[in-house]
Amino acid sequence: MENPEIKDSDFKLVKLDEEASEKIDTPKYSYWRSVGRQFFSNKVTIIVLVVMVVVLLMSFIQPMFSGYSLTDVTGVNDLTRRFNWPSAQYWFGTDKDGKSLFDAIWAGARTSISIGVISTLITMVIGVLVGAVWGVSKRVDRIMLEVYNVISNVPSLLIIIVLSYTFGSGFWNLIFAMTVTSWIGVAYFIRVQVMIMRDREYNIASRTLGTPTVRMIFRNILPYLTSVVVTNASTQLPGFISYEVFLSFLGVGLSQNVPSLGRLISQYAPYITSYPYLFWLPVLVLALITISLYVVGQNLADASDPRTHR
Amino acid sequence: MADDVILKVDDVSVNFKVRGKILKAIHHVSMELHEGEIFALVGESGSGKSVFTKTFTGMLEGNGDIVGGTIEYRGKHLEILKKDRDWEGIRGKQIATIFQDPMTSLDPIKTIGSQIAEVIIKHQGKSKKEAKSMAIDLMDKVGIPNAKNRYDEYPFEYSGGMRQRIVIAVALACHPDILICDEPTTALDVTIQAQILELIRELQAEYKFTTIFITHDLGVVASIADRIAVMYSGRIIEVGTCDEIFYDPKHPYTWSLLSSLPQLATRGGSLYSIPGTPPSLYKDIVGDAFAPRDPWAMAVDFKADPPMFKVSDTHYAKTWLLDPRASKVEKPELIQNLHEKLLANTTYGKGEHVDD
Amino acid sequence: MTTEKEVLLSLRDLEITFGKFVAVQDVNFDIYKGETFSLVGESGSGKTTIGRAVLGINPTSNGTITFEGQQINGGLKGKAKHDLERKIQMIFQDPTASLNERATVDYIISEGLYNYGLFDNEEDRINKVRTMLEEVGLLPEQLYRYPHEFSGGQRQRIGIARALIMKPDLVVADEPISALDVSIRAQVLNLLKKFQRESQLTYLFIAHDLSVVRFISDRIAVIRSGRIVELAETEELFRHPIHPYTQSLLSAVPVPDPQIARHIKPIVYDPSQHHYETDKPKFVELLPGHFVYCNAEEEAGYRKQLAAEGKIQA
Repeated sequence: MENPEIKDSDFKLVKLDEEASEKIDTPKYSYWRSVGRQFFSNKVTIIVLVVMVVVLLMSFIQPMFSGYSLTDVTGVNDLTRRFNWPSAQYWFGTDKDGKSLFDAIWAGARTSISIGVISTLITMVIGVLVGAVWGVSKRVDRIMLEVYNVISNVPSLLIIIVLSYTFGSGFWNLIFAMTVTSWIGVAYFIRVQVMIMRDREYNIASRTLGTPTVRMIFRNILPYLTSVVVTNASTQLPGFISYEVFLSFLGVGLSQNVPSLGRLISQYAPYITSYPYLFWLPVLVLALITISLYVVGQNLADASDPRTHR
Repeated sequence: MADDVILKVDDVSVNFKVRGKILKAIHHVSMELHEGEIFALVGESGSGKSVFTKTFTGMLEGNGDIVGGTIEYRGKHLEILKKDRDWEGIRGKQIATIFQDPMTSLDPIKTIGSQIAEVIIKHQGKSKKEAKSMAIDLMDKVGIPNAKNRYDEYPFEYSGGMRQRIVIAVALACHPDILICDEPTTALDVTIQAQILELIRELQAEYKFTTIFITHDLGVVASIADRIAVMYSGRIIEVGTCDEIFYDPKHPYTWSLLSSLPQLATRGGSLYSIPGTPPSLYKDIVGDAFAPRDPWAMAVDFKADPPMFKVSDTHYAKTWLLDPRASKVEKPELIQNLHEKLLANTTYGKGEHVDD
Repeated sequence: MTTEKEVLLSLRDLEITFGKFVAVQDVNFDIYKGETFSLVGESGSGKTTIGRAVLGINPTSNGTITFEGQQINGGLKGKAKHDLERKIQMIFQDPTASLNERATVDYIISEGLYNYGLFDNEEDRINKVRTMLEEVGLLPEQLYRYPHEFSGGQRQRIGIARALIMKPDLVVADEPISALDVSIRAQVLNLLKKFQRESQLTYLFIAHDLSVVRFISDRIAVIRSGRIVELAETEELFRHPIHPYTQSLLSAVPVPDPQIARHIKPIVYDPSQHHYETDKPKFVELLPGHFVYCNAEEEAGYRKQLAAEGKIQA
């Protein structure tokens, strides 16, 4: 046996330390630290995160130095600057106006990402708050269900296009057009989640302790929804970016002098066979942005589910 | 006596990998199962009683491994079987399991009768018609009233107790050699629990299978067990005949389990309670696993793992108290003269207490 | 003797329906201040529904629930409702589902204190929570841990702490130990007893198993299919169960003694033995404080038997 030496004196009763067996051996649990640990434990996530950070930095810093302007046509008469294939001098090549595609892409990406992030934030904040109230109040439920039924039966793209035409082009006009109805889908989703949570035993316990409804929403229910909210946001974000691309492609949405990935793609689409890099590089960057944002968001959502912790 | 041993487990350990950490679920456990007996495994949640029996049917979860020891069933080594194909003919056929929740074993969209008949066709090669009449017989046997008419009903039309009876019928349909009952009555009402226990006892007498009965409640097995093993933190800490465990327990944990049974409490007094909670199985346990909660713990209990001390041919206990060097300790007053106390305290006469 | 006792909670002709389904009907009982009253029945008997109706979680469809002389079912609003909620607290069956997994033990135990401002300042609050934590046998250092870090028994003690820190008058304990291991049950029951001794608590204890309630209760009501079939003082009920359903429940209690256990045959209760079509049943007080649900014919039979046993005059 692996026993160490045992002396006769070991056979004496010892006093029971009642507290010893109540102790918890595991290190203290912190929700956000565990989320972090879980998130960074996945190698793929880290790689995608690095890609995402590089893309974001490029989009927000590079345009500050490049001085790119969509309406700049100074190079249009300089033949040596037109339609250069990607090279050491022009990494992504140049277009018919002699503008560097490299500069164009980052300037465009900045606009597209900004639109995506701002729209997602607005959608999620309104959606979650309305959804939470919607889920607990029977009176609100009756009204909101009608509103939801009407709006959800009209294709959202139609609403956005109509609104874009009505309000005219522009950065904020586009965001307004996209978010004015988008939150209702999120709110409905949150409402269902809240209704599921509402009658859980720990919420009944809070009711017996006299906890007001508002505090129950913020302390009991929303923390449980972190994971689904993040999941939802990570699907919304690429969606908004795609909307922008699509609308710019149609020629509505942003005003003529604002660069965006959508505008670049539509502008360069005619060159898809003659100068394919002009079309494909913006598409590639668009894919990189939406995929990395989505993957990072999904993994963050997984990590924020405490069932994955420990 | 070794002749009638049909399952021999020797020094088995099971580890689980949980997110990079090792959980030692079963720690050097040995056991022998005799033909035709009802063997009860008693332990709290996390004691490893379910995990232990899953090694007999190859049903350990994917992250669990037998890391040592041997399991021999009628001369066949089970610990080396890995693939599902290897287990064919043993799992479900020779060694069948009944779980706590009957719905885990029943298909909700097939009729009750067809589920039993299917097993009969598969394992006994009977025709459809024969299988149906055998299935109805079996339903009768497990106490389904009006079995013929209920043959075509679906599981949701049955109550919890009735479903558990059906699961037993399905298990019986392949004439198992060993029937593992994994807390079959825990989710049921007490009156139904009593009926199911009675049923298992009757069927055992008729079909002559061997039973392993897993439970967390020592009180439940007094009526049916031939032998009892008590598990704690992945170890069998005491094993003996039913009478030995109830009337002459040796391990302080068994004492505590018996003492804390509410049936022994007197009104107005306080119940005996075990302080604290079981140890984490992620840690290396040094010495006796129960020592931190044991009022009779000695210094040695924190130093060295006690061996199985022999009390009688059938009775073994894993506690240093049985070492000749230890001073003699009596079991607690509360569980001395258990039988007399319960007789005095009892109104069980109302339950048609028959003396023989 | 019962007249001297102060009635804390009183249920009269209580009926609770969910849609067309009648979950509970004709329920009548009083709970006296300082006692433990147990409601015992199997799953689906309506025992939890009654407990939740007392807490105002389940609406009632008929009858009254009176607490400290004031009717509390239906129509209570605003401050009166809020004040009442403090006085009646609940301990839940499932110690996992009933605790907010995203909150620390500190917040969970303080939740009620915040809602009623039951502390002078932050220091006072922490002190109250710490004291409570120690009273239920947990360590003050565990204050900032989360529920999932605790074992089932420890979690149930957190649940008890958060209810009892409110200094309630009545505690509804809904199967507080049935989800726990046998060795842990005793800790929890002892704790409930201790608090009752120290602060004159009254318990409505809900259980499905008679073996547990014998130790803890003063009086027991046995409920089946939404009706109370028998009500008596604990020892009276155990020694002289009258209703066949009570007898069946008692016979099913496992006896931890092989010699006795092997000889017990469970009594199976068959509800079709009652013939209530024309001769309607009532809740009859056969002996002082001992009520049985029966019709005139059964009552005569029970009385005859009691007379034969010398318990009443023929």
